[in-house]
Amino acid sequence: MSSIVLRAQFWVSPTRRAWLARLGYGSLGVAYLAATFGVARGSLYLQGLVLVAACFAICALSLDLVAGSTGLYSLGHAGLFAVGAYMTTIIQAQMGWNIFVLLPLSMVAAAVCGLGLGALSLRVSGLYFAILTFVFTLVVGVLLSDLAITGGYAGLPSPSFPNFRGALSGLGSALAWTVMLALLVAIVVTWSIRKSPMHRVLLAIRDAEPFAEAAGVRTRVVKVMIFTLSAALTGMAGWAFAFLGFVSPGQFSWSVSVNMLVMVIVGGMNTFLGPIIGAAFVSMFPASLSIDPLWQEVVFGAIFVVVVVFWPRGFMGVVSSLGRRLAPVQPVQALRSGASGASGEVSSVREESALSLYNGKCVVSRVGSGPHGVAVICRGLTFHYGKGPAVLKGVDLTVRAGTIHGLIGPNGSGKSTLADLISGRLRPDKGTVEVNGVRVEQLPAAERARHGFMRTFQSATLVSELSCKDNVAVGYYGRVGGIGSRSLVWPLWPGAQRDAELLSARARAALASVGAAAWTEVRVADLPHGAAQLTQLAAAQVSEPRTLILDEPLTGLSVREVDHVGNVLRSLRDSGVTIILIEHQVRFVFALCDEVTVLSAGEVVASGEASQVHGDPRVREVYLGV
Amino acid sequence: MMARCPALQLCSVFAGYGRYDVVRGVNLAVEAGEAVGLLGPNGAGKTTLLRTIMGMVKHWRGRISVNGVELGGMKTHAIAQGHVGIVPEGRRLFVDQTVEDNLLLGAFRFRRDRARVRVLLESVYELFPVLFDYRVRRASALSGGEQQMLAIGRMMMNDPEVMLLDEPSLGLAPIAVEAVARALRELRGRGRSLVIVEQRIDLAMQVCDRLQVLSAGEIVSEQQASSLDVEGRDLISAYLG
Amino acid sequence: MFEALVTGIALGCIYGLVAMGFAVAFLVTRVINFAQGQLLMISVMVAAAAASAGWPSVVAMLAGVACAAAAGALTYVVAVRPVLASDRFSFGWLVTTLGVAVVMENVAAIIWGPTSRAFPLMLNGTSAHIGSATVSWQQILAVLVAFALLSAFELFRRRSIYGKVSMAVAQDPEMASAVGANTMVISVSAFVVAGLLAGVAGVLVGPITYANPYLGDTYGIDGFVALMMAGADQPAGALVGGVLLGVLNNEANVIINSQASAWFPFVVVVLVLLVCPRGLFSGEVRSWLRGVRRSLVGVG
Repeated sequence: MSSIVLRAQFWVSPTRRAWLARLGYGSLGVAYLAATFGVARGSLYLQGLVLVAACFAICALSLDLVAGSTGLYSLGHAGLFAVGAYMTTIIQAQMGWNIFVLLPLSMVAAAVCGLGLGALSLRVSGLYFAILTFVFTLVVGVLLSDLAITGGYAGLPSPSFPNFRGALSGLGSALAWTVMLALLVAIVVTWSIRKSPMHRVLLAIRDAEPFAEAAGVRTRVVKVMIFTLSAALTGMAGWAFAFLGFVSPGQFSWSVSVNMLVMVIVGGMNTFLGPIIGAAFVSMFPASLSIDPLWQEVVFGAIFVVVVVFWPRGFMGVVSSLGRRLAPVQPVQALRSGASGASGEVSSVREESALSLYNGKCVVSRVGSGPHGVAVICRGLTFHYGKGPAVLKGVDLTVRAGTIHGLIGPNGSGKSTLADLISGRLRPDKGTVEVNGVRVEQLPAAERARHGFMRTFQSATLVSELSCKDNVAVGYYGRVGGIGSRSLVWPLWPGAQRDAELLSARARAALASVGAAAWTEVRVADLPHGAAQLTQLAAAQVSEPRTLILDEPLTGLSVREVDHVGNVLRSLRDSGVTIILIEHQVRFVFALCDEVTVLSAGEVVASGEASQVHGDPRVREVYLGV
Repeated sequence: MMARCPALQLCSVFAGYGRYDVVRGVNLAVEAGEAVGLLGPNGAGKTTLLRTIMGMVKHWRGRISVNGVELGGMKTHAIAQGHVGIVPEGRRLFVDQTVEDNLLLGAFRFRRDRARVRVLLESVYELFPVLFDYRVRRASALSGGEQQMLAIGRMMMNDPEVMLLDEPSLGLAPIAVEAVARALRELRGRGRSLVIVEQRIDLAMQVCDRLQVLSAGEIVSEQQASSLDVEGRDLISAYLG
Repeated sequence: MFEALVTGIALGCIYGLVAMGFAVAFLVTRVINFAQGQLLMISVMVAAAAASAGWPSVVAMLAGVACAAAAGALTYVVAVRPVLASDRFSFGWLVTTLGVAVVMENVAAIIWGPTSRAFPLMLNGTSAHIGSATVSWQQILAVLVAFALLSAFELFRRRSIYGKVSMAVAQDPEMASAVGANTMVISVSAFVVAGLLAGVAGVLVGPITYANPYLGDTYGIDGFVALMMAGADQPAGALVGGVLLGVLNNEANVIINSQASAWFPFVVVVLVLLVCPRGLFSGEVRSWLRGVRRSLVGVG
């Protein structure tokens, strides 16, 4: 799909594009209303089929939010669906409240369960989390089958839904309109999130969690919140479903949970239309073929196998591979020579003005540091991985503010571990870390990032399917407030466009400043290793940190790119940033750094001014074995 | 007189992950009984080159052959049937199994030939007596140096024609490095061909006959270890940074 | 109550064998085979059909087990291998193994009809006395066979080179292939073993249940719950988990009330998982126990 859009972009100017987009959305809206009208006036059979599919589409969309975008595979959504449906039915039957009051109630009930499940995701991940959510569905199923209030195995009949009166009765079934409206709400919410910068943050949590944390994303909070939102939407689907006949435990069994995940995977994970198509297919297919029901199931099962084996990206994967064949993307030239030295131009006037608007609001002052102008102090850091030997043994490190401090040593000497301890990815067994006068060794990485502390990783963990610019923009996430809360209605929020352009402009500028302007729109998956390192560097400094740790940023860079990085680091230092540089290219380190510390086998061998350390014979011995 | 095939030969090999080549047109020939050291900065493609020879990474251009047998298109487990063996970076022992089980697994291709396995096992224990002492201990309970011995022993059990070692001295204390160097010299003495990726010039010089420097996927320098003078060493240091 | 305990153990062995099959497949391939329950069903249906066609009981049952094992291999080749080949970390196998399960269930229904049929009686008619309980020899057989299989499996895993290499594949498939192991063959074998275990479970439970194509769902889910309680990659633990589940089921019926078996086991499973999310016999529980033992020894 994106390839078709890329081609279109070549042909249409920005303003015309905006109008075309509005026209497009408008006509889609009209088509949707027309379809709803058709369903609302259609036969009961048609309504039954479509409305049930619509409820499942809402579930699939909300499941894709957590599974496809955030990487939390949940088999608990049938349980959340049940919570919504049964809350509605039971309260209506017992207390006779207005059914529209029950909507927020059901959503809140489901959201509370979602909050609990989201919290569980912080303890375990991946398959084991899926298993726990599976158990949730089983438990809900058992409760539904065995409590008197839920009507046991037989279930409960639906509450009745009011019909249109008078003039409006020409519109057909009010229930149909309501359910389709609920689906529209779910579509708008998930579409908004996909269009907002939040989506990139979710992808970063899914694919590159250490990177997201180092960039200041409170990943734990985001995971719980997105799960709660997903649960609320599923609760809404449950509310709607409650009116479609009757509710019984069999409709919310574990196999329904698995089917929901199947809908998302078969339709296409992490796509806009995929979950809707998948839901429509899985829920309507069994009724559509008029052959022997057993053979129908066989075909159904076979389709699952065939689709996923041949098109791992689901139905939407089929569509996009067709699209790629019709409109091939320009191959990325080997742009290595063009990558260095180019000072990128900001691509549009709007972005530039957004940038200048924000420049005045730079929150974190670069000046200021801990006592005696020291930025980072480590005392007695000791660390073991599990039961293994000590990787670091009582390491002391003092980094003065506004300097570039080199950290060198042979492979395996503990440099990356030290970086992880300072940045918060690991907690030391013993010892303390102070950054700008604040004790941070127990703070999580995301909190340290919010104190103006950023880092890069030795093996670049970025989101491969996003462009460099989008990855760098994640680094700026913490600076633009309220992205998360506004993401639900992002395209409709007035300030959103400006903020998106701001993020984009800053990301571009950061990439240009490290000499990677040519790679701005290129997907990270298509990058050589050196360009990925530059992208990480851009992501780390886009939010104007006070302290930077760079873990082997020069790996895979050409000589020209290395020179350029040196210049970038010098200018950062001159503007007051403290930089800790872990590198292997010893000449570069001694040429650039003010002070150098040498590590070997987890201990500090030498530390002090660069020229002093360079001449130290122990350094040559440790490093070159000479 | 028939020309003898080198034990390991790479001709214009290109390999990598994704769109970009990490190994770019590498030519390499290692004779039987020769040890070649492969030096270079991080990210130069040394590990990728070893993995390519082992079949873990596909090479799409060029030829790799061991004693005349082309390895192109062979899966890793087929290559491990006596052509090439590897001691990978980080050792990658089967940590939940005992020392002896790790060694027996190394000889998996000889599983039907008990006598041969016994002979191989004895020769490994002879070279590394400490492994014999610890043979029922779990591999995870060994120290770094002992684990490196075990990884080398495991590869020896496979009895390949060509042996690849990726940074065997990584993270080891000097005494352990000494022991590893001795073991590698012994291997060379037994007539096997070795390709050793190393960061430390001194170790490479002690063990290898030839030193090659890999930078940005290409071989940029080749020196004889025995005749390496100060200038040659400086040249190599320059590449290491 | 004692009788409930013994019959619970017997029933639990069936769950345990299914769970063990899940665990063996997961251990080696990191995939949960949603068609595992259906493998049990295939063995039951084939054995029942063969017996009613006149084959001697024992041969019919062997045929059932063999078909289950073959179906396991087929599942791997068709539904798992292609998915893992394209992306080792995707969850696509969730969909494909489910698809295979649906196909197997409905093909069985087409071939043998959706209604139940009788299964050849083995030892169900005869019973023995243990203490105050009356237990059928069929149930005793189930327990004996289950523990025999467990012992055989553990012996194989620890002593034979093929067992060791399977564990190596489980831990580090790339390195295992670097010592000459063909990971594809080993993965298929793991699924064959899973099918064997489910098949044996099927012929053991066949006499006490009717043979119908929808058996897979019930025993599959029970086996899966037992697996979750024990730990997804712990075959021995899975058998124990199954036994535990069976006992909880039956004892709940006796001690609390006759409806309790529907919910009581779940309460226990939920509690267990809240405390040990990766299962009772998982690595983290084991290292915690080791830590406790060490501190106790230190005190004493």
